This record gives sequence, C-alpha cells and structure tokens, in this order.
Amino acid sequence: MIKKPEELTFDNKKFSMILYGAPGVGKTTLALSAPKPVLIDFDKGVSRVKAYHRTLTIEADKYEEVLEDIQSPDLADRETIIIDTGGSLITYLQDWAIRSNPAQNQQKNGALSLKGYGAVKQEFQHLTSMIRDRLNKNVIYVFHSEEQKDKDGNPQQRLLCEGAARNLVWQPCDFGGYVQFIGNDRVVSFTPSQEFFAKGCYGIEGTIPVPTLKPTDKNDFLARLFDAARAQIQSEVEALNPVKEQYGTVMQIASDLLAGVTTVDELNEAKDAIAGLEHALTSKAECGQMIKEKAKAIGAVLDKATKTYKQEAKK
Amino acid sequence: MRYLLTQSLISSWQWAMDLGTDEKFDEFRTVLRREPVEQNEAMQKGIEFENNVYEACRGLVRDPHPEWENGIQKVAAIVKGSQFQVSGSVALGIGATDFLLYGIADAIRAGTIYDVKFSTKSFGSAELAGKYLESPQHPAYLQIWPEAQRFVYVVSDGEDVYTEEYTRRNTRRFWDVAREFWASIQALGLEDEYKKYWEAKEQ
Repeated sequence: MIKKPEELTFDNKKFSMILYGAPGVGKTTLALSAPKPVLIDFDKGVSRVKAYHRTLTIEADKYEEVLEDIQSPDLADRETIIIDTGGSLITYLQDWAIRSNPAQNQQKNGALSLKGYGAVKQEFQHLTSMIRDRLNKNVIYVFHSEEQKDKDGNPQQRLLCEGAARNLVWQPCDFGGYVQFIGNDRVVSFTPSQEFFAKGCYGIEGTIPVPTLKPTDKNDFLARLFDAARAQIQSEVEALNPVKEQYGTVMQIASDLLAGVTTVDELNEAKDAIAGLEHALTSKAECGQMIKEKAKAIGAVLDKATKTYKQEAKK
Repeated sequence: MRYLLTQSLISSWQWAMDLGTDEKFDEFRTVLRREPVEQNEAMQKGIEFENNVYEACRGLVRDPHPEWENGIQKVAAIVKGSQFQVSGSVALGIGATDFLLYGIADAIRAGTIYDVKFSTKSFGSAELAGKYLESPQHPAYLQIWPEAQRFVYVVSDGEDVYTEEYTRRNTRRFWDVAREFWASIQALGLEDEYKKYWEAKEQ
C-alpha cells in the first residue's frame, strides 16, 4: 500500500530497546513496565522480580521452545517481548547451533566453530526482525553490563554479551538505556557519555528518573515513554513533511535541469537556476555536487573569479 | 589570513593527547607538517571497501567482491541515492585567529551525512558501541553543513553493518572542540608550525 507522508500514522509504532546495567539494579522490573509484556526468562531470574510485578513468562530449556512459544496464538494480544538477558540468549543460540548442525557449527573439541558463530549471529538477527516486523511487537533486550577500561584507563560500561551480537543488537534499536543508581535514585540514561553508551531518539534522551514502585503502583514507566515517543514522531512528521516535500521538489528540478546539459552555457544557466531554488535540508550541498559532476562530464572548469564555468583548456 | 582546520588534524591531535605516547605525538607532528603518510593495509582496505560501495550505489558493472560483498551491499543499501564525496567549508573565529573548517563528506542525502568506515576487525571481536562518541568528525561536519540534521557512521567488517547516529542534540559543539585544539597547540608551542603549513588558500 502506497501512502503519502501526511497519510502515515504512528499510533501502532513498535519499538526496539536495550536496557543494561549492573545485576540487581532493577532492569527486569523496568522492562516489565512496557505495554503488555511477555518475559522470556533466559537468565532464570524472574524470581528476583517482586511477585506483584510479574507477568506472563516463558521458561524454556531450548531455543526452539522459545521460538514456538513466542509465535503461539496465546500471545497474540501481547505487545512487548522481553529478552532477559540478551547475553543468555546467545548461550541458548550456541547450544541450538551445535545441536542443529554439529558437522558445521561444532569444532572437534566441542566448542562453537567460526561458522557456528555466524549461525548464532544470523539467528539473533532473525529473532529480532521476527518479533519486530512479523509479530509486530516491541522488543526489549535486557543485558547485564560489564566494566571495561577505555584508552585512558577510565571505566566504561558495555553490554555483557559474547560475539558480534553485542554490536549488532544496537543496529535496529530505537533506544538504548543504561540503568544505574545515582545515590538512592534509580535512573535510566538515553544519552551516551564517556562512561556508558546509550541511544535515544524521538525526544527520549538524557537521564530520566525511574519511579520507585509501591505494591499498588502501576508499573508503566516504559509504556508511558513509548507513548511519548509516538507523540513526538507524529509531531516531527508534521513539522518535517513540508520540508521533505520541498527537498524532493528541489532535487527533482535540479536533476531535470542538469539532465539535458551538454554545453558550458547550459551548465551555467542550470547552475543559476538551481541557485535560485528554495532549498531545503541538504539540497543545496547535494545540488552543488551534482553540478560539479556534470561539469566534469562535459569538460568544464569553474572560473573562481567569475564563479562561472568555462570550457577546460585543451592540454 | 585564515588557517585550515580538518577533522583528521584534530583527530590526530586528540589521539596524541589521549594516549600521550611519543609515537602518537610524532604521528601528530607528521600530520601537522602535512608530510605524506604511507598508506597502511587498513587504509588501503578502507579505500577499496568504500570504492566498491560507491560503485554498487551507482549501479556500475562490477564483479562481486570475493570477501566483502555482503558488507558492501548492506552499506550501499543505506547510502544509495546520496551525493558522494561532497566537499564543504565554513569560517570560524577563535580569539583573534580566523580558521576555515574544511571537510569532505562520504555521502549526503536529505539532511543526513554518512561516513563509511571499514573495520579490519570482525564485529565478533570489535567493540563498536560508543566508539565515535568523542570523534571530532560529527561535530565538524554538522558545523560545515548546518542544514544537515544528523550524522551517521556506517561501519562494516565486510559482512555486517553497524551504524551510530548523532543528532545536533547529542553532539558537542564544534567550536568547543576547536577552541580546545587551538589552546593546546598554543600551549605546546606549535602555533607557528601550524600556521606555516595550514594557511588557507583564499579564492
């Protein structure tokens, strides 16, 4: 279905998120504050969540069971899948890779082969895209953090995760939040700093306090955050649509003007016409480059004094 | 009189200051004196990778790369439709000194600047998240192209792609970066050397 920008709505937009931090900081409870969550308890840590915050939970011994469960009709009305933790998922995937194709994915000493790591990485990406794109659910990856040192010896918090997944998991994520205690206050940060990496967008940025919940309080911090992000997307779209439309118009006119240029005079005419357009976004810089390429193609050089093109002198 | 500033000069200075080794400082002095640097294997691979991406984007007839085709196609899918190797500059004053910040963007499209990077380390062994946080490149390029809304590092190891995006809201002001650089150059007694080699050609 083809839609015009103004016809697009984001009421049902789903998000991908990473939450990471030290053990015991409350990452799982925070993840459970997303809309209609299902927890995949790879880490066997649901017992640490207070009973009144627990939700539907998938416990499995094998990755295949998880795959089956998340596609179950019983979960059709659920909106968020929480993978707790991403690091433990990798362990499940390694076991799955070896069992599913030992000849290719296992070394003689029993360890995962290079191809096995490739299979784990691919399945990790497949799972993420299946949850987000096919099942149309939010996906939250919970990770423990590990402390590394930067080149100056300063501590840096990173995802505790083996292999390429620790890099690739960031790619599709809209948000990456580092959860920590500052004094007695639990906060989640969506803006990167020297100490930790983080990712924010749609107006969700900076360090946000996470409320301390009493037994009767609704655990809906992330549900509200997702609502705020959706509202921001809508307002950004409304503000940007005219600019994007103008950008598209300018680029089209410039392409058309330059397409027919074969002589230096025509190039100068086109250049002046393009300069007179009402530019938007980076259209001016892009058109400048298109003009340079056309000049090169027809053997024209810019006379810097007159700022017009002339025929390149024959060598 | 104006003097050129480039992100690679500032990046070289940053490395020298961060690591504080004689080797890095010597490398920085080489850059400061604009001495030609021999391309190492990593640089050559980076250029080869980028050229393949641009050819793929332009739809040129090319043989699939024997090692990196997956990565090339994934990066090309992100930057396709851009204008490539776009140069730009902007004037900048720090105290009594005038500078011209100059840069070449790998790709620009619809308000986004892309920088294509090749990682010789596979993603399985590299730690990428936050790698570019302190880089002067995105502050510099967002300064050169004020109409751009975001800067995206597009990194590939030849197989996979990792992107790291910076908007104006989470980017340090380039002016602060440049001011630190200039104060440091003066403190190190390198002002004359810098001015000797980095005078901007006025048009």
